Parts: sequence; structure tokens; C-alpha cells
Amino acid sequence: MHHLSLYLHFVKLRIRSQMAYRLSFVLDLFAQASISVIDFFMIALLFNRFKELAGWSLWEVGFLYGMIGICFAVAEMMGRGFDVFQRNVVRGEFDTMLVRPLGTFYQVFAHEFLLRRLGRIAQALAVLLIANSQLDISWSLGKVGFLLVSLVSGTCFFIGLFVIGATSCFWTVQSIEIINIFTNGGVFMGSYPFSIYRWWFRHFFTFIIPLACVNYFPSLFLLEKVASSGVPPLGVQLAPYAGFLFLGVTMLFWRWGVLRYQSTGH
Amino acid sequence: MRTLYLTFHVYLAFVTKSFQKRMQYRVANLAGLTTNFFFLLVHIFVYTAFYAARTGPLSLNLNEIITYFVLCQVFFMLMPFWGARSEVTSAIKDGSVALQLTKPVDFQAYWFSDECGRACYYLLMRGLPTFLISIIFFAVAIPTQPITVMAFAVSITLATFMSAAITITVFSFAFWTLDTTGFSGLSYSIITLFSGMLVPIALWPEWLAHIAAWLPFGGLIDIPFSIYLGKITGMDIWIAIGKQMIWVVFFLGLGRILLKRGFSRLVIQGG
Repeated sequence: MHHLSLYLHFVKLRIRSQMAYRLSFVLDLFAQASISVIDFFMIALLFNRFKELAGWSLWEVGFLYGMIGICFAVAEMMGRGFDVFQRNVVRGEFDTMLVRPLGTFYQVFAHEFLLRRLGRIAQALAVLLIANSQLDISWSLGKVGFLLVSLVSGTCFFIGLFVIGATSCFWTVQSIEIINIFTNGGVFMGSYPFSIYRWWFRHFFTFIIPLACVNYFPSLFLLEKVASSGVPPLGVQLAPYAGFLFLGVTMLFWRWGVLRYQSTGH
Repeated sequence: MRTLYLTFHVYLAFVTKSFQKRMQYRVANLAGLTTNFFFLLVHIFVYTAFYAARTGPLSLNLNEIITYFVLCQVFFMLMPFWGARSEVTSAIKDGSVALQLTKPVDFQAYWFSDECGRACYYLLMRGLPTFLISIIFFAVAIPTQPITVMAFAVSITLATFMSAAITITVFSFAFWTLDTTGFSGLSYSIITLFSGMLVPIALWPEWLAHIAAWLPFGGLIDIPFSIYLGKITGMDIWIAIGKQMIWVVFFLGLGRILLKRGFSRLVIQGG
């Protein structure tokens, strides 16, 4: 309970500081939304030219796009502390966290909160809702629950990626930018049905980096495409939990990384 | 004549410095290269799947599309899109612009040189390897006509100049908003869209392609790449290049006005 109220307090502070440059904040909100609007507009342009993609219609792809977009934007909003963690290591600020009577994972998590991602969340949500209205999905309580679990799991997945990036700073000081491939790249490739990728690519992003588990497999179920996809139904049902598992593993990695931490000196 | 030579010499030194500064970050460059390839690969997967289901003929065949996206990744870092920008850009926010202003050089020209050095670096260290490796793995079209190669070289150079001029213009707005992430984000999304970076303009619906033709941003990607692919030929090449030149001059002028206005209201941040 104490942790939660402290977290909310931190969030409030963060929001206040981001409001300092108000004009820029508003512009950024629009920028966030406009970038993603253009992203989706481009997908729509392609469908205007080609009609379908591996048996998926525009709005089915829109559903995929909306899901991954929400997960990523929420993860960026909440997991920002890990995303910019290298700053703390470079400046030796992590030392301060080590002496505080709170877990380091919690502190880094509560350290930042990026309110401006709201623009992107709104856009992704809008695409998801429009897609839903165009698609005629037969919703049931179970399906709504499944969608929510998938969204939370997807968010955990992306936060997990940020945690990996942050943990690597314990060894390299500077963050390994390779992680961008999985975060930004993950959103990009997650916006298309996985069946278009080569098998080695698909397997890598299912079993090692479980991107498909939090996005593609859940939408197969929600859009009733499981039978035609050839993916085992049980696998589809269990897939979303991979996101939680992934975050758990990265937390262990973090804990191990903290033990290796050597200060850059202060 | 001698002063002209000296002036040129000074800015050339800035270009070299900018180049050398970036040579420090070898690992970052390797990471960037990997990222380039990842996005290239996903693009190729996506378009291959789209083309597999196409019905009618298209103005670009799959080979040309692949070549187009290879070129996109080769020249990506030279363009005014998202990505690490020159350090001059943060100078207004953190106040170090004061130091730069004490230098007896033209600020815009200084900034332009910095951007050019940056472009040379990325062309050599990022673009060239991307291109060479792509030739091995993908069916990349290579122009055979010497005139095409020459026109492309001119056109991509102009695109780089335009990119530098645009960057300076966009970041001049920092004088008014201090934090440019919002404004630059907004401009970059429009620039990226209308340059043809995301989807080649040749595949756009007519009405939208028409709007793009009246905007400057096709000069960054669409014009040079269309020349490369042999989609613009003969006299049209010179018209396209002329268009690029006009826009370069336009953005240099606009940036100049903005900088002048900006400096007159500049408050140095920090100490």
C-alpha cells in the first residue's frame, strides 16, 4: 500500500515537471498522435492498392495494430525509467538508489512517467475501436477478459524489453541500442500478421522474444482465425501469459545485474 | 579570392570535426546497422506478401520495391527523420549556443557544415556497408546508364543539402518553444510521410500523389530514388533536380530568417 501511494506521488511530480514547457507538451501530444496516425494511414494506403495481406483485411490488421500500439505506448509511459536508465548509470546516480530503503526495481520503475504518451495511446485505442466496429466480432465476457489479459501482458512484454536494455547498462554503461529493434521494430512487425514472416523469424519472435504471443496469437483467437492459421488452439489460449513470464525473467536478470554494478564514481 | 578560400577552409574544418566526432561511436554504429537491416527485412517480408496477392500490374515491381527500401535504409541517417540529430540542436536548450555565437562564423553555415559532416559519416559508415551487404542478400537493381548514376549522385547530394536546411529550420523553432520534441515530431511525421519513405509515392492513390508533388519533401527520397530506378528519364531529370534546387534555396532562406529573428529574442538558458 505504501509503495502504491508513493508511486502515485512520484507520478504526480513527474506530470508537473512535464507541464513546465506547456506549449511543447501540447505539441508533443499531437506529434505523438500524428506520427501514429500517419503510420496507420500508410497501412491503409497499402490496402487501398493491394486489397489484402495473406488473407487479412485492412481492419483485421488494424486490430493487430491497435493492440500492439496500446501495449507499447502504455509500456513507454510507465516503463520510461528503464528506457532512460543509462543516464543514471553514466552519471553515477544509481548509487543513491542503492542506499535508499526501497527495492531498486521499484525505484527505477517509479522514477519516470511519460504523460505525453497519452496521445499515442488515444490513437491506438481509436484504431482498435474503429477496427472492432468494422469487423463484427462476436464479443463474450470470456473474449473481453482475454483481450484485457493480452493487453496487460503485451505491456509487461515491452516493459520487460526496457528492463533488459536497462540491465545491460550494468555491463556496458551506455545502453545497447539494439533493444530498439525489439521495441520500435516490435511495434512495426507486430502490426502485420505473423504468417508473412519466414519461419526462423517467426520462431525467434515466439519462443525467444515472445512478441507473437502477446499480439498475433491473441488476435487469432479474438478474430476467430485460429482454425485457418494452423496454430494449436491450446497454444493460442496460453500464449498471452508469456508476456508475464517474460517480465518475470527480465526482473531476475535485473536482480543479477544489480549485483554486478560498479559505480562510475562520484 | 583569398578570403573566400579562407572562409571555405574554416567551414571545411567544421565538416571534418563533425565527421571525426562521430567516428568515436563504433559500437553504436554497429547497433544502428543491425537496426537498418532489421527494418529492411521486415519491409521486404511485408511487400513480398502484399505483392503475392496483387491483381493488376503496378508501377513498381517487387525487385524495384526491394531496391527502393534498400536505398531508404542506406540513406536513412542522412535524412531529416527521427534519429540522433546534430549536437547543435540541443545547444539552444542547454545554453551552450552562447559559446557557439562567440565564434566569428556564420551560425547557419556552421550548423550546415556540422550536418554535412554528419551526412558524410553516415554515408560512409552506415550507408555503404548497408548497400554492399544488401547486394549480396537481396536482388538489388543497379543502374547501368552512366547518366542515371550521375544524375542520382547530384540528386542525392541535393537531398542531403535539403535535409540539412530543413533540420536547421525545424530546430530554429527552439527559440520559441525551447523544447523542440513536440514541434519537430510533428514536422518530421509530415516530412517522413511526404518524402515517400514509408510507402513509395508511386503506390499512392492519385490525389495524394498530386499533393506530394507540390510539396518539397519528395526531393528527399522520391526524386533521387525514382532517378535511380530509371522512373524519371531524359529532360524530366533536370526538371526534378531543378525543383530540388529551388527547395534547398527556399529552406536555407527560411532558416536564415528564423535564426535572425530567434537570435534577437534569445535568452541564454543555464550557466
